[in-house]
Amino acid sequence: MKAGKGSSDLEQEVLSQGLCTSCGACVNICPYIKVVKDKVAVIEPCGLTEGKCYDFCPRTLTDIAALDKSVFGKPRTDSSLGPYISIEMAQAKDSEVRCRAQYGGVVSALTKYALDTGEISNAVLTKPFDGAMMPASVLVEENSQVLECAGSNYIASATLARMNEATKQGKDSIGLVGIPCQVLALRKMQSSKHETGARGVKLVIGLFCTWALSYKGFSEFLRGKVDLSQVKRIDIPPPPANIMVVETAAGDIRFSLDEVRRFIKPTCNVCFDMTSEFADISVGMVEGVEDWNTLIVRTPKGKKFIEKAKKAGVINTKPLEQTRLDHLRGASFIKKKRAVDAIQKRTNDKKNLLYLRLSAQEKKKFL
Amino acid sequence: MGTLELNQPGKTVLMMGDEAIARGAIEAGVDFCASYPGTPATEIPESLARVADRFNIYAEWSTNEMVALEAATAASFAGLRALVAMKQNGVNVCSDFLMTVNLSGINGGLVLVAADDPSAISSSNEQDSRSYARYADLPLLEPADFQEAKDMTKWAFEVSEKLGLPCIIRSVTRLSHSRGNVKLGELPEKKRTAKFEGVYISGAFVAAQHAALHQKLEQAREEFETSRFNFYVGPGKAKFIIVTCGSGWLYSREAVAALGLEGKVGILKIGTTWPLPEKYIVDHLKNVTEILIVEEVDPFLEQNMKILLAEQSKTLGPIEVYGAKSGHLPAYGEMNQDKVAQALASIRGLKTRARDGKYVEKAKELLLSYIPIRMPTFCTGCPHRASLWAIKSALKLDGRDGFVTGDIGCYSIGAGPAGYYQLKTIHCMGGGIGLANGFGKLDRFGFNQPVIAVCGDSTFYHAAIPALINARVNNSNVLMVVLDNGGTAMTGFQPHPGSGCDACGRPAPTVEIENICKGIGVEVRVRDPFEISQAVQDIYDMLQENGPRVMVFRRRCFRIEAKEKLQKKYYVDQVKCIGDDCGCARFCSRVFNCPGIIWDQKAQRAKIDEVVCTGCGVCATLCPRGAIIVRGAAS
Repeated sequence: MKAGKGSSDLEQEVLSQGLCTSCGACVNICPYIKVVKDKVAVIEPCGLTEGKCYDFCPRTLTDIAALDKSVFGKPRTDSSLGPYISIEMAQAKDSEVRCRAQYGGVVSALTKYALDTGEISNAVLTKPFDGAMMPASVLVEENSQVLECAGSNYIASATLARMNEATKQGKDSIGLVGIPCQVLALRKMQSSKHETGARGVKLVIGLFCTWALSYKGFSEFLRGKVDLSQVKRIDIPPPPANIMVVETAAGDIRFSLDEVRRFIKPTCNVCFDMTSEFADISVGMVEGVEDWNTLIVRTPKGKKFIEKAKKAGVINTKPLEQTRLDHLRGASFIKKKRAVDAIQKRTNDKKNLLYLRLSAQEKKKFL
Repeated sequence: MGTLELNQPGKTVLMMGDEAIARGAIEAGVDFCASYPGTPATEIPESLARVADRFNIYAEWSTNEMVALEAATAASFAGLRALVAMKQNGVNVCSDFLMTVNLSGINGGLVLVAADDPSAISSSNEQDSRSYARYADLPLLEPADFQEAKDMTKWAFEVSEKLGLPCIIRSVTRLSHSRGNVKLGELPEKKRTAKFEGVYISGAFVAAQHAALHQKLEQAREEFETSRFNFYVGPGKAKFIIVTCGSGWLYSREAVAALGLEGKVGILKIGTTWPLPEKYIVDHLKNVTEILIVEEVDPFLEQNMKILLAEQSKTLGPIEVYGAKSGHLPAYGEMNQDKVAQALASIRGLKTRARDGKYVEKAKELLLSYIPIRMPTFCTGCPHRASLWAIKSALKLDGRDGFVTGDIGCYSIGAGPAGYYQLKTIHCMGGGIGLANGFGKLDRFGFNQPVIAVCGDSTFYHAAIPALINARVNNSNVLMVVLDNGGTAMTGFQPHPGSGCDACGRPAPTVEIENICKGIGVEVRVRDPFEISQAVQDIYDMLQENGPRVMVFRRRCFRIEAKEKLQKKYYVDQVKCIGDDCGCARFCSRVFNCPGIIWDQKAQRAKIDEVVCTGCGVCATLCPRGAIIVRGAAS
């Protein structure tokens, strides 16, 4: 068997290449790797040639077909959206939840419901602001804390580092809300040969994501425009607005999205997943519809949970029109294609897709 | 009562060299002592502070050596006798003042003890401070043993007063820190009162002052011609002699004896090494054709001797000089009797019985065969370990090849494995932040590495503030991390301006580091380095900012804490304790059985063994008579 790889390989192949997503999968499983804000580093070489850190990383070798098999038990039929059972529009019934959330409030409503019903006993969520602009991943045990975590984030926090810390303390029956790279890493952890508390995560709600900004670049940019401690909320209104709105105590500031695109993490350019394809359920916006979410049910467990939630009157649903579905599929496909292009630009080799391992058949679709 | 206070003239006691110097100052009636701690000089002011009340001495730990010399000079100007003691680096710090007070002159006796550290056992450099005497035209005395350490110090005050000049005494580690016999002199009755009169200005008629200084030096030479600290031992008409001074005297005697050369080789021992007692020396060179010069570190005596020989060549004829220049002795590192014996043997063509050149390597090899290598490390519980780990983590997370400029203190060993090799520069007190100032202005040349200057709390007060002000006004991109462990730890926990007590242990006002930083106008945060993840995050955040910033990592040196706890000393009141009449059946020493309590056979009472006692105080609560009593924390 081929020898595994360890933290020095992780440093060489991922961290130093700007490929780290700061998902936190490698953090808090040993004393050597630390994260501050969205920056992960190997502080000191641990000396081991093989490590969990390398195996768990969403930017080390990831065999999509194998993961499909281990998570869903079968290969995918939809190359753009990944395995799913159903896709529809959804909205939280509770208007307070809707009001606090970015779109339809489905994630907050479902998380609260999962905690209420004992589906999960804790949830790893992300608070949009913890001090100057940086979101913080938190472990939530009371449903009253869920709404504090409502709203979108445009900087990634190390959610899995928080999860690792929680499982180390013996927590299980955890719900996790994460972006695609975090969900991917979580599934890699769960299907790895290594011992990991990640198997204690029982419900995975994935978010749609097109990119995240690097904290350093973006905060320096914003600092020139506004007192960071005054920032209350950041929003990107749906297309075609192409703007970012920063709400502060002293009023809103708007600027063109083109201005912030240069702070997109380089690793987002090689991301092959817009819709959190390995989650139990995935939730995102519906383009052009402000108060509703797109809800993708992917696993049987997700399906059962959503059915219960519907019955309990937590969410309303309605069908997603075909044109909107086609649009979503198109957007996801473009992201994948761009990722493959970006990877090939990096490797300068048509066969070398870095971390991504696709079946020959799948690969053909994006080349 | 300690030996410093002992009023028994003629009695011989065992004294550390530094204590002997302090005793000499006491016998001279010293009134004022100001110093900054520094190995191997620290025990001189510490000794004087200990008996300050007994002899009405004002003793202070000054913020740095320059201030110490200036303060002591003020006492001299007011007619008092004053002493400053410092390690070799301290002489550099106060040299600016030294190079002017030589011109203005002084009034009461002023003695500067420069304690050099050959081989830099506890130093960042190896320096021979004697050159300062020649440089500043000041008289220089070099004690060769413990008795001379005391006697010369006493005499130095007289020389200083007579000439109206500061007098320099040069000690070295082996003298300062080892112990030997000292015959005590009389304790004087002190009668001086302070009054300032006259004018002391350097710069009014500098050239004339300089000329007058040279005259004073000639006067010193006259004085030295008859000094009892210069003497000759050996055969009457020896052709080969050793000329030596300071620690070289005992090494030379031992080497001559080891080679059985007592009947052939004489030793001319010079105690007054600047200016040289020329007539006295020439008188002893009449029959000499070869000289070996033995001294520690620089060829100071050697060069001055060579000048003298050149001047006297008509009288003396050709004399061969062996020493550093000839390659027979090194001009670096500690001297020892083996080096002298080898030099002697090679010149005289003898077989030396001294250990061979490879002795050290062989001994090392043998030792390493069963003792693992141990690198210098921080104590268990040392806050510097956490601070440097936080710095290392933050720099790694930052990822821009940031680095640390180091400074002088316990944390200097952070340049090695103890501090994860974080410190990349180490020079002098305050040098780290000074260097960081420069690095922080290199951005226009493409420099984008973050720079962290680490600095101890005592060092901060001593030498870092001007550089921090400089960073502020020039907006230099530097993060200064003050490793505040609550005292001058490396030299033995002397208090500093932030400690809240003075040299004699009395309460004193504190000057807070963060208030100084705020006053300068730089952002400052104070954190406990033991809260490590917060510490990492804060350092990381501060690294992302521009301009000067200060992080104070504050946690008391656990050794200081332990020392303070130890200061809670217990003793048995042997009146309250009634021994076997009590009925407790010697509970404390026999039943409770703490090794810190012993039975005093002579007094038939219990007694605390202060060496062993850790001051936990449990026995005091158990003694039925309440005879075990805590001494006041500071007394």
